[in-house]
Amino acid sequence: MKLRIFITAFAAFLSLMLLQGDALAEVPNFPVLVPLTGFLSLEGTSQRNGAVMALDEDKSVAYGVFDTATSPEVAVNAMERALRDRIHTGVIIGPILGTQMLAMLPLAEEYQVPLVTISGTAKLTEMGNPWIFRFFPGDAVTKVAHARYAVEELGRRRPAILYQTTAYGQSGRGHLETTFRSLGAVPVYQEGLDVSVRDVTAALAKAMAAKPDVLVLHLHSGPTALLVRQARAQGIDLPIVAGSAMHQPTTAALLEPSELRDVCAETGSSPISGGSPEMERFTADYREKFGSDPDAFALAQYDATRMLLVARHTGPTGGAPLRDWLASHEFRGLAMTYKSDGKGNMAHDAVIVCYDGSTRTPHIAMRYKGVDLAR
Amino acid sequence: MEFLQLAINGIALGAAYALVALGFVLILNATGAVNFAQGDLVAAGGFLAVALAGFLPVPGLLLLPLVVILMAGLGLAVSAAAYWPLRDRPPVAVFISTIALGIVIQNGLNGLFGAEPRAAPPLFSGGHLEFFGLVIARQSLAIMGVAALLIGGVQLLLKHTQLGRRLRATAQDREVAAALGVPVGAMVALTFALAAALAGVAGLLLANQFFITPTHGTDFIVKAYIAVVIGGWGRVGGALAGAMLVALFETVVAAWTDYAVATGLLYAALLTILVFRPQGLFGEAEGRRA
Repeated sequence: MKLRIFITAFAAFLSLMLLQGDALAEVPNFPVLVPLTGFLSLEGTSQRNGAVMALDEDKSVAYGVFDTATSPEVAVNAMERALRDRIHTGVIIGPILGTQMLAMLPLAEEYQVPLVTISGTAKLTEMGNPWIFRFFPGDAVTKVAHARYAVEELGRRRPAILYQTTAYGQSGRGHLETTFRSLGAVPVYQEGLDVSVRDVTAALAKAMAAKPDVLVLHLHSGPTALLVRQARAQGIDLPIVAGSAMHQPTTAALLEPSELRDVCAETGSSPISGGSPEMERFTADYREKFGSDPDAFALAQYDATRMLLVARHTGPTGGAPLRDWLASHEFRGLAMTYKSDGKGNMAHDAVIVCYDGSTRTPHIAMRYKGVDLAR
Repeated sequence: MEFLQLAINGIALGAAYALVALGFVLILNATGAVNFAQGDLVAAGGFLAVALAGFLPVPGLLLLPLVVILMAGLGLAVSAAAYWPLRDRPPVAVFISTIALGIVIQNGLNGLFGAEPRAAPPLFSGGHLEFFGLVIARQSLAIMGVAALLIGGVQLLLKHTQLGRRLRATAQDREVAAALGVPVGAMVALTFALAAALAGVAGLLLANQFFITPTHGTDFIVKAYIAVVIGGWGRVGGALAGAMLVALFETVVAAWTDYAVATGLLYAALLTILVFRPQGLFGEAEGRRA
């Protein structure tokens, strides 16, 4: 009797496991590889949150989150781990850190898995790799909008550019200078700041000695807030047009609203600025789920993941079919409409947000659509 | 006038760096080992101030005693975790264990508070004062004042109290101190507590004016290390002077050149000192180099 019960129970268990295995075999896996520790963990966390929010809403795919930290080796190892089960892994949601993405590109080609990212590093889509899809406007879009706003909307002709000495900063500086020159506004001063610099009064003093009419920043979050604060403390009331770090709610939170007067920033989108019922719902849901305000990185990754999920529901779940689908389809996301330019650049719009000095919530001052497609 | 403005900013920054370097030297002297978690303790102090301000929305000055006490407790924990089990091993073991502990603190802060920069409350109030065209942040004045008081207090403690004499005896020769009845283990633990408390104060001061992130500790320890090498390995006064020099390179020299060149010049100065005066500007405390 006991033996029969045991055999029946064992058979039932075995059937359950086999059924579950069959079911699991049909569930595609979308690994999320993002920097959750190290100097880009703020942006990586936004990226993770955006992806997780879309995946949790849909619930039709499995996912795991892997921390890529700051080095290319860690990212490649994380990708290898994620790809270990190659049958289920149809796509990799890759990190915002460009150096990591560059190291992951050959693996994507080798394993024939699309890599979806929000990294802004221009080179990623310039290497002829058909497996990369970038859902955040790169420097070729945002820096053009950045410079055009300063010149065309604010009427400034003597920009002083302060940028970070990192790869991110230098890439942006190059695009800014080229665009400013093409608009007839030659920068009167340029200096690179290391991320460890705490006191920027020396840079401000030298910049002001060149008599600029606008301060143009391309810095990470903390340094942007530091520079704005120290500029205002020194009585510098020039307009400041900053990089996308300034649009992040966590950056604005470091400053008093009065310090933010005449400060603008370029970005892909600004969820907290609202603009549509769908955007406001996204912002409210994000706040409820993560207890913080969403930024453009979170929204871009949310949109990217939703496009992958639309693909999953209409057919391709990975590999070459998904690559071809992403390369040929248009997707209307919350931030913008995404469509590949043939190189994997999916995002072509940028916005300029500005603060009015009374609140830390910016308003959208200008939209630039199809910036890189128009040229 | 511009030079004066930059010099004042540099001195304020140097005062905060000096607190970091002072804690670094105290542990160096007490244990003979480099505490590479000192920078991360500064970040921990900054985040502690941010967290306390969430519960008690009062000026930083009122949070300062709480930060000192809690950070001293953390210093004791650091001593128990990273030094005590390795006290009979070569100094390099403590060097490695404090690096590991620093990473734990860094990732712990990231997990607890997130990666975004945070600002602690000002010591008294925000805003600026203007004197003859100079703009001085109230927080800068507070940093200079608090740093001067604390550094003076530590010097008084070390030179004019029985506890200070025991701490110095432990720092000079642990074996002889133990033979004379000094509770060496307690003195070392106390040194860690004191160093962590100083790091906590530095964290509170820096986190208002320059913000704080979980990864900032690495910057602070590098600057403290340079300050100590320039000033003289194990010299308290040398570390303070070295910290001022590092900060003046970041402000005054950077204004004459640019930040990249100023950083290069700082490292060139460091190399020159290592080649021509390896004992540092103020001489090396005997037998301290690990």
